Amino acid sequence: MSRIKAICCNYTLSVEPDALKSAGLVPEDVEFERLPCTGRLEVPELLDAFTQGAAAVFVVGCELDKCHNLSGSRRASKRVAQAKKILEELDMDPGLVEMFFAGRGETEPVVEAARLMAARAARAKKAQ
Amino acid sequence: MKAGSNLENVLRSGAFAVTGELGPPKSGDLELVRKKARILKGFVDAVNITDCQTAIVRMSSLTAGLAALAEGVEPVMQMTCRDRNRIGMQADILGASALGVKNLLCLTGDHQKFGNHPQSKGVFDMDSIQLLQMVKGMRDEKKFQCGEEIKGNEPSLFLGCAANPFADPFEFRPVRLAKKVAAGADFVQTQIIYNLEKFAKFMEMVRDLGVHEKCFILAGVTPPKSLGMARYMKKFVPGLDVTDEVLARLSDAKDQREEGINICVDIIRQVQDIPGVAGVHVMAIEWEEAVPEIVKRAGLSDRPEPKGIEPVLSSSSSIEKAVEDARKEVRIEFEEELERARTEAQASRELVIKEKEKVASEISDLKKQIEEARTMASHKEAEVRKLTEEIQKAKKELEASQAAGPAQAPPVAAASPPPGPGAPPPPGGPLTDREQKVLESLNLGLQALKSVLGLDDSQFEALRRFLEAEFMLQLGQIPAPAPPPPRPPVTEPAPPVPEAEPAPAEEAKAPRVEEAAEEKTARNKEVVNLVAKGNLALHSGDYNGAIEAFEKALSIDSTDEKARAGLADAKAALQKALSAVKEAPEEAAAAPEGLPPRPEEIDEQWWKEKWVIRYTAMGNVALMKGDYDQAVSAFEKALALDASNEKAKAGLERAKNRQGIFIPEVKAGQAPAAVKEAEAAPKPEAEEAAEEKKEAPPEKPVEEPEAKAEKEVKKEEKPQAKPAAPKIEISAPAGEGVGEIAVSPLSKEEPPLSERAGDIPEDVYKEACSGAIQSVTLGDGEKAISVGGETALPFYNFEGDMPNPPRVAFEVLDSEPEEWPDVLTKYFADCLGDPAAWAKKCVEEYNAKSICLSLISTDPNGADVAPADAAAVAQKVVEAVDVPIIFWGCGNAEKDTETLREITGRIGEKKVCLGPLTDANYRTLGATAMAFQYPVVASTPIDVNLAKQLNILLENLGVHLDHILMDPSIGAVGYGLEYTYSVMERIRLAALTQQDDKLSCPFIVNLGREVWKAKETRLPTDGMLGDQERRGVLMEAITASALLLAGGELMVMRHPKSAALTEALVEGLL
Amino acid sequence: MIIAERKKLGELLEMVKGCRRLLVLGCRGCVAVCSAGGDKEVSVLASAIRLGLSRQGKEIEIEERTLVRQCDPEYIDPLNEDASDFDAVLSMACGVGVNFIADRCGKVNVLPALDTTFYGANLSSGEWKEMCAGCGACVLHLTGGLCPVARCAKSLSNGPCGGSQNGRCEIHPDVSCIWQQIYDKLSGLNRSDEMKNIMPMRDWTSAGHGGPRRRIREDLLP
Repeated sequence: MSRIKAICCNYTLSVEPDALKSAGLVPEDVEFERLPCTGRLEVPELLDAFTQGAAAVFVVGCELDKCHNLSGSRRASKRVAQAKKILEELDMDPGLVEMFFAGRGETEPVVEAARLMAARAARAKKAQ
Repeated sequence: MKAGSNLENVLRSGAFAVTGELGPPKSGDLELVRKKARILKGFVDAVNITDCQTAIVRMSSLTAGLAALAEGVEPVMQMTCRDRNRIGMQADILGASALGVKNLLCLTGDHQKFGNHPQSKGVFDMDSIQLLQMVKGMRDEKKFQCGEEIKGNEPSLFLGCAANPFADPFEFRPVRLAKKVAAGADFVQTQIIYNLEKFAKFMEMVRDLGVHEKCFILAGVTPPKSLGMARYMKKFVPGLDVTDEVLARLSDAKDQREEGINICVDIIRQVQDIPGVAGVHVMAIEWEEAVPEIVKRAGLSDRPEPKGIEPVLSSSSSIEKAVEDARKEVRIEFEEELERARTEAQASRELVIKEKEKVASEISDLKKQIEEARTMASHKEAEVRKLTEEIQKAKKELEASQAAGPAQAPPVAAASPPPGPGAPPPPGGPLTDREQKVLESLNLGLQALKSVLGLDDSQFEALRRFLEAEFMLQLGQIPAPAPPPPRPPVTEPAPPVPEAEPAPAEEAKAPRVEEAAEEKTARNKEVVNLVAKGNLALHSGDYNGAIEAFEKALSIDSTDEKARAGLADAKAALQKALSAVKEAPEEAAAAPEGLPPRPEEIDEQWWKEKWVIRYTAMGNVALMKGDYDQAVSAFEKALALDASNEKAKAGLERAKNRQGIFIPEVKAGQAPAAVKEAEAAPKPEAEEAAEEKKEAPPEKPVEEPEAKAEKEVKKEEKPQAKPAAPKIEISAPAGEGVGEIAVSPLSKEEPPLSERAGDIPEDVYKEACSGAIQSVTLGDGEKAISVGGETALPFYNFEGDMPNPPRVAFEVLDSEPEEWPDVLTKYFADCLGDPAAWAKKCVEEYNAKSICLSLISTDPNGADVAPADAAAVAQKVVEAVDVPIIFWGCGNAEKDTETLREITGRIGEKKVCLGPLTDANYRTLGATAMAFQYPVVASTPIDVNLAKQLNILLENLGVHLDHILMDPSIGAVGYGLEYTYSVMERIRLAALTQQDDKLSCPFIVNLGREVWKAKETRLPTDGMLGDQERRGVLMEAITASALLLAGGELMVMRHPKSAALTEALVEGLL
Repeated sequence: MIIAERKKLGELLEMVKGCRRLLVLGCRGCVAVCSAGGDKEVSVLASAIRLGLSRQGKEIEIEERTLVRQCDPEYIDPLNEDASDFDAVLSMACGVGVNFIADRCGKVNVLPALDTTFYGANLSSGEWKEMCAGCGACVLHLTGGLCPVARCAKSLSNGPCGGSQNGRCEIHPDVSCIWQQIYDKLSGLNRSDEMKNIMPMRDWTSAGHGGPRRRIREDLLP
């Protein structure tokens, strides 16, 4: 069972993940982690998620210039970029880790991101 | 002068210098360098040889520079700091200078990033300015960069540098050039100039610094080959300022190359006007051909005479020249040696001549003495005559006084000698006093005469008596008995002195004196004459003549001592002369044994034996020539060395008995070997041989067929011919021609090899083969024949078996032959158009054991007869004869497939052989043959591997090797026989000795068609080539015999006669 | 500062593929400053190796540790005690650290995680540039403080060469021509005449071509 790890900040994941799942909006195997701010995110966390079995990892942060903590989502996006490079070096699809941006309280981008990443994970699995 | 290079010479002379550029190849192809150098030669004063320009690996500048130098083009060797450290660079500088490089252009070098090895480590131990300093130090201070002294030759180099007037910072560029000049640059070559304005400014600044006075500045120019190239240079070559004007000129030009040259020429003209510019450096990158044109158009083609271009190493042509020189030297030495030898020979010749002259002068002295004696004799004769006259006169006076009266004394009486002591009493009646007195005075006169002439007593006595007798006669008294009137000895004519014969004078004189003494004895005049003649001959060296004369004399008077002695002398002299003549040249340097000096490496005994053989041979030759004396001498010499030599003894015997070797009609001078053979052969055979010789004069056209046939029989026959050898008689076709084709079998070798080998153990000459040849059976029934099966090389019966004799198959054409000569067609004249009848004739009349039907009419390039029609003919042939038949296609693989398949369809089970199978049609024909178990002919073009390949293919297909005949492709004698022979031989050796069973098939040799297409078989009978038919027959028979020996087993032939000859040969050899 | 850069993960995975216990050892010296081998980089590398090996189906136990410096005995000598049971120590120090561990810790299998690149300065965050070649024979007093050995593509002593155009080096448009800069600098200092002097050939023994270099300050020797 491939898992998809989603990392969101307090502001981008305002709805309970289980509600989204039970509403059928996001696949069951998406595991959400909520951080106070994605700016706290470090590369090892992204990588470790894969090590622990995630097929894909995505981060949803505030819109770049509207971060609650000013530059948190910007930092996060740089970490994601770094993680992508490492995946590339490890011969993995860099698309399996992705940064998304969402407005405060918006659920739709999160749902879309989850679906997109689920599709990427499925594709990656197929390709294996 | 710093280095004395041509470039330096030109620049210092004030002439406007031109240098070129030569990029070495990206390979080891020195010829490319030479080619470029030759293009530039004569149009430039020196040529830059780039050092891996733009960091691309190329032939080193030193190497290419030397090649250019060898072509007579002075190199400017470029050296960059990129690839070598100071150790490598100094080493190369020493080497370059030592090898005649006199100009060095010092560069830092393009960065390796630009080249084809960007991963390389750039050395850059120093930069160009430091390089200049270093080389200058080596040259001027004789010091290595480290300060150590250069002991010995320091590099002598005219130093150059590059300058880029268009790089940044512009105002620093002249300063940097000044730094380079200060570091040691003698000349400068600038970056390619297009922007003349900027260059002029640069030059102005250079002049301000006075740099132009310290070095020679050559302006760099390049003809843009195309607009593209100009754009590229502008865009990508740093510091290359291609102006818009140049680009415009090129883009407007019809012929961009032409315009490029014009642009370049214009720039040259303009830089010439800039003060301080001493020359131009024309860089036509990969466009060397443009340089001569540019130089010509710029009016600079009148280059100063090159100086100082001396390659130390040489180009191939100069190496050749050197070799030639060396050869010449050797030749001169050789000629000197030869001259010396010649001089020595001349000297010894002169010595001989001198000796001769000495002898000749001795002879002439003797002659002179004789002459003197003769003169004296004639003087004395005159005196005698005078005295006689006086006596006569006195006599007359006496008579007169007698008539006048006794009182009158003759006036001469006082002069009359007193009577001699032995004066005989006057005969007859008593003399008067006066008469007595006269006699006395006569006697006195005679005495005087005797003393004057030196006569001996008997002579004197004779003279005296004569005179007395005369006197008495005058008186009327005849003294009795009267002695024969003696001729005065002095008047006897001296025998002619032999002219050039250096006979000892004593010898020449002695017999003459003796002769004279014996003159008195009454001898048969004839004998005397003969003896004289003999002596004359003897002295003139004609010993044989002498012997003959003496012998004749003896035959008349066997008691004549003189003649006998002369004969003995003559024989001795002859003997002596013969041996002298024979031995003179050899014995001159003879060893004590009388043999020429023995070479050290040769054993003495052997040397002796050798000479025994040689002398014996010489003796035999002499015998043959009929020169018995020489033969005797030679044999004796041989016996002297080896008294027990039987041959020499026998020869001597024969020579002594004047028994020659009977060789009728053999000209003298025939090779001794032949003589020996003749000698060894029994006489009748030799006679027969001679007869045959007589019978066969080469010019004589053979018109009598019988005689010719007979002769041929004789040729084949040995004298000890087997009793009544069975002859194969072939009836002659009516009319002219060879007629009886009768070939007697060759005699078989009488004693077996083991006997002939004598004591030689068998394993020395026998080499058993490990392989065997397949036995292939053709045809069926009684007339079936098998070929092959050997376990030894052809006819090596002593080594293995040859169970089946090679066979001849008569070739029959399926249509009337078009180009066969008459000498061939006449045998089949009655059946040429009818293959069945033809085949039948071959079998019935010419005893053919097999027929090869050539399906020539099926050739698509010829008559292109349809397969079905050809098959019908084939069927008729099959029905007509019962011997095995080979169907030989036209050689067109496709057509043969069709034709032969059609034939097999018709004849079915009857075992015929199909051919030729080639790699193009072996599949189809192989399959067909397999179906009927026919043997096949595998044809390949004279190649061992192809032959093997085809056999393998056929075997893979399922055709067994014992159903394959190999046709190796044939060349007739004179038409490549040797190729066929060697290929066959190699195939056979591979099969027999290397167990290469894929090559173990028998050979079918289709030679008739090859032979009879040779022009020699078609040229008519003439004096030079002889009889046409005989010629063709022999060509075919000889080709067949050669290929039989190479392993041929089934010979396809045309002429019945040559077939008969071939069969006779096979019969004889087996 | 010594500038270094992490080696490619593929190369590192190959290095450690046989390890079951690995110590990824950072250095808080130069490499931490140039963000190549400090605590953070240790953590990222450890995670990356775990991920990489796990994808190969291998298990590895990685310990992450960072020393104050790896070029001082007092920090690395303890490794003799507590690092000998690792299959390997993947040092994220510069080459000095790797060498020093190798020299001093006989039982430690030390591996380099970084390529040590040059002596450089931090132009801005994330950008470093070579300034010195450590040639051991400084000529900076002659060149206005700008090093032609380190900063000229051909290490010219007497530049600029003909490839200098618009202040740029011919080898790459990003590379400035140091000799143009030297010329400008000296001109600005009214010292441009010094450019007329020919700089003599260099002695490269001090640049390491004379063998490994060392320095002794006697007053500090124990």
